[in-house]
Amino acid sequence: MATPLGLKELSKKEMLLTGGHRMCSGCGAPIVVKMALLAAEQPVIAANATGCLEVSTCISEYTAWKIPWIHNAFENAAATISGVETMYRSLKKQGKIDKDIKFIAFGGDGGTYDIGFQSLSGAMERGHDMLYICYDNGAYMNTGIQRSSATPFGADTTTCPAGSAIPGKLQHRKDLTKIMAAHGVPYVAQASPSHWSDLMKKVRKALETPGPKFMNIIAPCNRGWRSRTDDAILLSRIAVETCYWPLFEIENGVTRVTVKPKEKKPLVEFLKPQGRFKHLFAPENESLLQQAQTQVDAYWAALLKEEAFYALSAGSTEQ
Amino acid sequence: MKKIMMKGNEAIAEAAVQAGCRFYAGYPITPQNEIPEYLSWRMTEVGGIFLQAESELAAINMVYGAAACGARAMTSSSGPGISLKQEGISFLAGAELPAVIVNMQRGGPGLGNISASQADYFQTVKGGGHGDYRLLVYAPYTLQELWDLTLLSFDKADQYRTPVMLLGDGILGQMMEPFFPTPYRKPRLPGKKWALTGCKGREPNVIKTLFMGEGELEQKNYLLQAKYRKMKEREVRFQAYHTEDAELIVVAFGIAARIALSALRKMRQEGYKAGLLRPVTLFPFPEKVIGGLAGGGRRFLTVELNAGQMVEDVRLAVNGKSEVLFYGKPGGAVITPEELCEKLQESF
Repeated sequence: MATPLGLKELSKKEMLLTGGHRMCSGCGAPIVVKMALLAAEQPVIAANATGCLEVSTCISEYTAWKIPWIHNAFENAAATISGVETMYRSLKKQGKIDKDIKFIAFGGDGGTYDIGFQSLSGAMERGHDMLYICYDNGAYMNTGIQRSSATPFGADTTTCPAGSAIPGKLQHRKDLTKIMAAHGVPYVAQASPSHWSDLMKKVRKALETPGPKFMNIIAPCNRGWRSRTDDAILLSRIAVETCYWPLFEIENGVTRVTVKPKEKKPLVEFLKPQGRFKHLFAPENESLLQQAQTQVDAYWAALLKEEAFYALSAGSTEQ
Repeated sequence: MKKIMMKGNEAIAEAAVQAGCRFYAGYPITPQNEIPEYLSWRMTEVGGIFLQAESELAAINMVYGAAACGARAMTSSSGPGISLKQEGISFLAGAELPAVIVNMQRGGPGLGNISASQADYFQTVKGGGHGDYRLLVYAPYTLQELWDLTLLSFDKADQYRTPVMLLGDGILGQMMEPFFPTPYRKPRLPGKKWALTGCKGREPNVIKTLFMGEGELEQKNYLLQAKYRKMKEREVRFQAYHTEDAELIVVAFGIAARIALSALRKMRQEGYKAGLLRPVTLFPFPEKVIGGLAGGGRRFLTVELNAGQMVEDVRLAVNGKSEVLFYGKPGGAVITPEELCEKLQESF
């Protein structure tokens, strides 16, 4: 019988990523990892692409991980866990191991959307029994806040600095969650640490689904977002409430929006507390704010339409 | 001319702009991020192109594309990122495309760490990528040289139609010191008639690295080797300090040479007959100079921030005529001048 995902039960479980690591105070990434590992029922082996999470959790001879953990370069967490998972299946077949073990790969948005995309796509296509979790903070934070293909439109970074020539990043984010869904894998979801119960249910469901799974989880970074150090959860909540970061899952091709904000807030509420968007509030950049809002609206509308389509077709089969 | 203060990485970036580089493609990796960061706004000012790639592999191939179109193109990275670029570097060499590649070395193998190291000597000088090719390799040891050799790299790349590597390290990239921003004066270079610039009114140019015809690849390789021989004859650069009367000659490049120079001054003050030979080009290696100094009871001590890489080339140059000792620290550790003095005194 699985542990219910309630606070009472979860409070008794062991934290598998300990405190004392060197992530910045107020960082969203370790919160995401702790929640994901708490949701797991079976033993987990994790792979980690290099990035803030990897570098800061294995300083010197110390490790913050209480589970078997393997790290590698920036572009190959998915390939590394593919090797480990395949070896596990081989040992299981040979009768040398009988435990039920789950495999999770963690990578930031740089290591997932950009350089690690090829190995991620390959792992999904081959069908390894694994869950890939991207903690998305929207830039290369570990190397000094350079743009990534997850950086939002208009954000100021060190390689797309906002100034007189450009108003921050000119491109919109790559829609990685949908790209992963297009691989036809059984489970893809987007989550936020502000909605911990939703996040953990999704991780639980992903780990219980055989085959390749992908989750994209927003992880605020106060250094890169130029926000207050105690705003990680607040900002990830506003990201959901403004529909900048919709919470949904795509299970066997069927889209379901798991959290619908009671009142969809204007995007500026997400942008305003972050210094990386400061320049967008100058009078001459008003059209950019509008453009960003339009994009969020369009994405949200399309997502609801997609969900309605599947709900309708499910209804028609039941008849 | 007035001296200016800049961070090493930014000095490389600005020198590249001064040398007429108008195409840069890069990807984040520490400790060289100031190069792409600086160029992301600087290229906009001078009407050049800054592209952030999705990986090092993409960045080097963007340079391949731009160089084929005749641009002065550059990319930069460090250790693991340079490893990823190796395929593209081999292709640049095979296609005879000029490009400047900057490696601000960090400690390895694997992720290693981000402190200074010279462990990429083998990777840089002995190939790195596949095939029989060589890079022209410059190893600066001050910010002055970082600036000057960056200027020179673009000219030499065009002159020989070859990728040139500027082999720095984390210390040089991160430190600040005053230097003269030598103005760039473009030498007379042959025009890039081979470039893919649109063939209206002329025969189409062909740039390729696939040679499937009978003996075609062999001939191509002979041509490449002839070019490398020419570099060996003409491009060797080095600096010698007190080598005339030296009983013990330190051989060191880059940041290790800088440490060695401090140690050497102290040794001379104390009356030891020590000298320093500092290769500025690692390929071509100053083998004739070192060979010429060998013999007569003179000994050599190679000092490197690695487990002993260049020492192999010093031994080849000396060819048994002198004893060659080695002192180094691998894995991102740095030698102090005091430590080196002790080691030198032991070796006398």
